[in-house]
Amino acid sequence: MLAIEKVRKVFGATTVLDGVELVVEPGEVVSILGSSGSGKSTLIRCINGLERLDGGRITVDGFNVSKPRELAEARKRSGTVFQLFNLYPHMTAVGNVMLAPVEVLKLPKKEAEARARRILDSVGLGPRADAYPAQLSGGQRQRVGLARALAMEPRYLLLDEVTSALDPEMTAEVLGILAELARSGTTMLFVTHEIEFARRISNRIVFLDGGRLVVDLPTAAFFSAAGGMAHPRIAQFLSKMQKD
Amino acid sequence: MQLDLSVLAPHAGFLWRGAILTAEVCGLAILGSVVLGALVAIARTASSRWLRGLAAVYVDLFRNVPFLVQLFFFYYGLPELGIYIDAFTTGVLALSIAGGAYASDAIRSGILAIDPGIIEAAEVSGLSRRVIFTRIVLPIALRTSIRPLGSVLINMILTSSILSAITLNELTGSGRIVASDTFRPFEVYAVLLVAYAALTWTVSLAVNLLHRRMNRGITQAVA
Repeated sequence: MLAIEKVRKVFGATTVLDGVELVVEPGEVVSILGSSGSGKSTLIRCINGLERLDGGRITVDGFNVSKPRELAEARKRSGTVFQLFNLYPHMTAVGNVMLAPVEVLKLPKKEAEARARRILDSVGLGPRADAYPAQLSGGQRQRVGLARALAMEPRYLLLDEVTSALDPEMTAEVLGILAELARSGTTMLFVTHEIEFARRISNRIVFLDGGRLVVDLPTAAFFSAAGGMAHPRIAQFLSKMQKD
Repeated sequence: MQLDLSVLAPHAGFLWRGAILTAEVCGLAILGSVVLGALVAIARTASSRWLRGLAAVYVDLFRNVPFLVQLFFFYYGLPELGIYIDAFTTGVLALSIAGGAYASDAIRSGILAIDPGIIEAAEVSGLSRRVIFTRIVLPIALRTSIRPLGSVLINMILTSSILSAITLNELTGSGRIVASDTFRPFEVYAVLLVAYAALTWTVSLAVNLLHRRMNRGITQAVA
């Protein structure tokens, strides 16, 4: 279980997260929607320990991310995919994917490489496994990013606007793989602007506005007139996003 | 005045040994300054303020003092404290220490140029700081800093001629001896010009090859 309790995060005078509460159970796909600056990405960065909390508590399967000793365990259980891929530029796709399994899980090199190639194959990059990031397209790079996270067999996949830097065709490549992962029961916390896609794959949708969690509803309820749409802020956001 | 290299024939072996000595000193000093430069660059980008300060003092000190003075301090100054180091070792050490200060600058800027997102990706995947440093930060930094590092090393080869001032008969030292023996400075120093050019040219060629090898696949256009 991924538990976020009364989380507060402040940057200077700005409160970016203000008492956020959220629980993600294994097997769930939870999408986080909200306009830019609503705190979505910061929430992900708090869960994987890249930002220090100013209040509240986050635990991943019981491991508190604010405690240095427990953070390592928490990080082993979650995998993050970034908006700008953040691949290691000096390593091939396979090198990127197998580094953490070798160094963190202490897998023998051969086994880690076999695993890396299998996962790259499953995201359609088998033939490009030995290419460097600079030799790959944006969509291919993001699939390497996804493979890198999956290679650690995380219990929770944290996706931070993973298609925002991609054109529509490449977005489709990546979303196709995410849909498959969702079907196979991978737990995901999915920060996105792809509303239609979120609607298709999510069990629940969470809406953040100005650092506050406005609603946390089952997907169907979120899009119903009596549910999420009853909130003027959400109705406005959805109508604006769908116009774009 | 005519260039007549035949007058140098009896001294060719002596000059050659001088050139070899220069190559040896420089080879060791290149190794020393890169290792030292990397360590100091690490210290200068460390989170400990104490470590950063210490490294900055070292770099500032050795970049702001003439090399000849550093050399005399090591060779003539330290024996006063009972520390005796032979000329060859002093030469290698002094060049490594001075070169290391410049090399650390080149490597440090390579470290600072790394996209912080890459480090974050490494952190969240659970890699230890040591692994992040040795497998990600340093390899990327060396790839971008290999060219500026190359000019530091070439400069060091040129500076090595000063070692003749502490009785080390490297190429310049032997040249001076031969020039005063034969009264033919024109021929002697013409040979030295070519010899130093060949030496630095070899190093810059090696640096270019290394740059190309290390950056294969990383950038589309490898210059």
